[in-house]
Amino acid sequence: MMDAAEIAVDAALAAGADYADARACRTSRESLTLRNGALASARAPDEAGLGVRVLKGGVLGFAAAPATPAEASRVARELGRRAARVAADLAPARGEPVVLAGSEGEVGEYATPVEIDPFRVPLEEKLDLLRSADAALQGAPETVVRLAHLGLRRREQFQASSEGARVHQVLVRSGGGIASTAAAHGQTERRSHPATGGDFRSGGFEHVLSLDLAAHGARVRDEAVALCAADPCPAGRRTLIAGGNPLALQIHESVGHATELDRVLGHEADLAGHSFATVDKLGSFRYGSPIVDLVADSTVPGGLDTRAFDDECVPSGRWHVVAGGILVGYHTSREWAGRLGEARSRAAARAEGWYDPPILRITNLSLEPGEWTLEALIADTEDGAILVDGVKTWSIDERRLNFQFTCEIGREIRGGELGRILRSPTYQGSTPEFWRSCDAICNAQHWALFGITNCAKGNPMQAAEMSHGAAPARFRDVLFVR
Amino acid sequence: MPLLSQDEALARARRIVEASPAGETEVTLDGVVDRFVRFADCGPTQSADRERCDVAVRVRVGTPGVDAREARASSGSLDEGALRAALERALALAQASPPDPELAPLGGPVDVAETALQRPTMDHTFREKVRWVEHALARTRERELFPAGLIETSGMTRTIVNSAGRAVHGERSRAAFSLTASSGVDSGLAAGSGFGAAIASNVEDIDPGRVVERATRKAVASRDPVAIEPGEYTVVLEPAAVGALLLFTGYRGFGARELEEKGSFLCGRLGRRAFSAGLSIRDDAAHEVYPGFLFDGEGSPRRRTALVERGELRGPVTDARWAKRLGIANTGHARPQPSARGPAPENLVVAPGDASLEELVAGVERGLLVTQLHCTSMIEPLGLTLTGTTRNGTFLIEDGSLAAPVRNLRFTQSLVEALGRVRRVGREPEVAGAPFSGEIVCPALCIDGFRFTSTTDLRAPALSSRP
Repeated sequence: MMDAAEIAVDAALAAGADYADARACRTSRESLTLRNGALASARAPDEAGLGVRVLKGGVLGFAAAPATPAEASRVARELGRRAARVAADLAPARGEPVVLAGSEGEVGEYATPVEIDPFRVPLEEKLDLLRSADAALQGAPETVVRLAHLGLRRREQFQASSEGARVHQVLVRSGGGIASTAAAHGQTERRSHPATGGDFRSGGFEHVLSLDLAAHGARVRDEAVALCAADPCPAGRRTLIAGGNPLALQIHESVGHATELDRVLGHEADLAGHSFATVDKLGSFRYGSPIVDLVADSTVPGGLDTRAFDDECVPSGRWHVVAGGILVGYHTSREWAGRLGEARSRAAARAEGWYDPPILRITNLSLEPGEWTLEALIADTEDGAILVDGVKTWSIDERRLNFQFTCEIGREIRGGELGRILRSPTYQGSTPEFWRSCDAICNAQHWALFGITNCAKGNPMQAAEMSHGAAPARFRDVLFVR
Repeated sequence: MPLLSQDEALARARRIVEASPAGETEVTLDGVVDRFVRFADCGPTQSADRERCDVAVRVRVGTPGVDAREARASSGSLDEGALRAALERALALAQASPPDPELAPLGGPVDVAETALQRPTMDHTFREKVRWVEHALARTRERELFPAGLIETSGMTRTIVNSAGRAVHGERSRAAFSLTASSGVDSGLAAGSGFGAAIASNVEDIDPGRVVERATRKAVASRDPVAIEPGEYTVVLEPAAVGALLLFTGYRGFGARELEEKGSFLCGRLGRRAFSAGLSIRDDAAHEVYPGFLFDGEGSPRRRTALVERGELRGPVTDARWAKRLGIANTGHARPQPSARGPAPENLVVAPGDASLEELVAGVERGLLVTQLHCTSMIEPLGLTLTGTTRNGTFLIEDGSLAAPVRNLRFTQSLVEALGRVRRVGREPEVAGAPFSGEIVCPALCIDGFRFTSTTDLRAPALSSRP
């Protein structure tokens, strides 16, 4: 397939392109879902295709089509020509030309470290794992839906560019989860483990095994039932301790998306929206309290966006987005780095697959751990504060300022300990006010990566995956609403 | 290549069905051809000329009613070797799966009307798209606005053949032009913005000048918005905002599974007049202006299904499994099977009323005109409580006229309660879409007592804050 990528690049250059890159991808997936004990979904999609991007006359053109190895050379030649033709047709309407930062002629190989190849695990073993998880969810008459699922993906990607880049990457990710929905007392409530929608990481079947789904079934079942009878979370301003799962999504929505430079500069306004974190604030804006450090890292072990190169063949890296509470960095790709005067991209260009042109995406972005144990943090927190976990739903405005999160479960803090369960804890806030109110972060023992598998951006929309690491953290004077 | 003719698609699907050793087999062929251009102030920014296909094989092994089980595998290629591999993966998955006693035999032959691609949409070139881009750039420059938009034309085919003799084929086209025009982008304040969009089957039904005029006129009118207090307001929701709300009824409510599992707003309200009498909603894949595929994920005909009749709640929609389980008719709303999700309407249509948008506004003493909503999500399903924010043009209405642009607000509102307070229904339906949720044909609505819970401002001290 590397041959096909090279043929596509050569065809584009022959058609007059100033620059070209190509990705030939083959993706295999397997997903299994047990719903109330029955196999509700058993799927194994497989696809292969080629996407070619061309810069000609200052405009980017892109063409893509399916291609098996047998037909790849013919398809590649045609796509190279088509992408160049698209760019040529669009050039009359382009003003300032696209300039790609740097020159990226990297040659390299990367494969996700995998202990247990998930596609070599027998189907019967996978189903046994889900059956035992489902069995652990049984036993409560209030339960209306039991869910146990796993998902596996392997993508092999061959990348070539007219700058001499030749990159071969094999990216594997695995994960799963359980959930229980109960209906009682006029309420319908859900609990999940290890996170809402499951948890996925780069790696092999060892990650699925580490989730130990069956061991958490009874707790998840009982908490869903208890939530139906629980008091609703009271409204008013109070202290919040956010668990790692909701905090990971908070990082994603209020920091990750806000620091995508294409959005900041207005180019994503037609669907995703704008950002309040404009470039005039870089280096000076207080995004969070001094203990808030948010680090982007496309090399962190287990991250869903962990790889050696992005889809523009730029080597992965690690950088601060927020340091000591100050906004100090953005996510960039080759098209956008130059707008900041930076010589090289942050390697954040990715496409959903061969069918899509690469766009600027959030990479793995994590809150650095602090000093506290969770037990000490709870003991240090006043009566009436609320610890939340799981994400029921979320919403954030188009500038990434006003957000509202509803979590699966709240626990009231009384006498330095966790007290009664509270239903549907919902809090609102403004991004910088929220992060500035952070006064304690738990230590590395409590820190974990949480995978996001459905990040939507672009128009037409593309899905991307990345992870966010977080330990539980405390935020003061947060507005809870009903 | 991916858009096969009806004869070729049916023949290819039949060959796979005939090659399958499974007791029952269903093959679904999907093809897409898509061309798009995104643009901003500097002109075209992204583009694609692309195509894809998906061949899904659903097999059943074992004895029906005893130990039958099923699974699905797919290939992104029409290559014979890839198709054989997909069939083998499906068989392996099915054989390892637990029995499903609820599996009914696959459905047999059905009559489905023929549909065809719209040639103007399929033939729309990049050079034609450039002319639309140039018009948008010229108008936004004149009005000192920042543009961000999309022009997209697509053609889609779907073919389903099964071993029980079912064979259906459909074709549909889609053209879309959307523009968001903004000012104040550099400061992060988004001091004013406007949105215009048009979606149609035939690209010739889109008036690009009208889209650009709507977006830019709103952006200019919404400059320097004023802050207003959150609270309950009478709202006039334009079709884009109506669509973002009503699509949740399809996504989470009108399906038989949600109803049966007590997760639907229909629970306890089915057959009752829970919504205002002026509101009628149906699912209608054969809509005369914006049709969908006329069969569902199992190849069953999509029945025109009344969901709300003059405020009375009807439904639910079903598929083969849920129709059998509940002992009611199959309305033809299956997702591709097997699926962890239940049946759902995908072609919602709201019946128009009698008022123009201007008349809806004129009838409001004090309220808000809302152009579009952002990031709408569901807090709880039984009252269909939703939250989200306004965007791209929110205006205060006083004494029947637009008095001032206002800053965006967050709403948190039970949709069931809101639809019980529909004062009037607009007479000009549009095709509106929302991320993740599909598209709907709907007019504007005027609703009383819509609850806004906070503003979306960055408070002034925060902007000037320094370390």
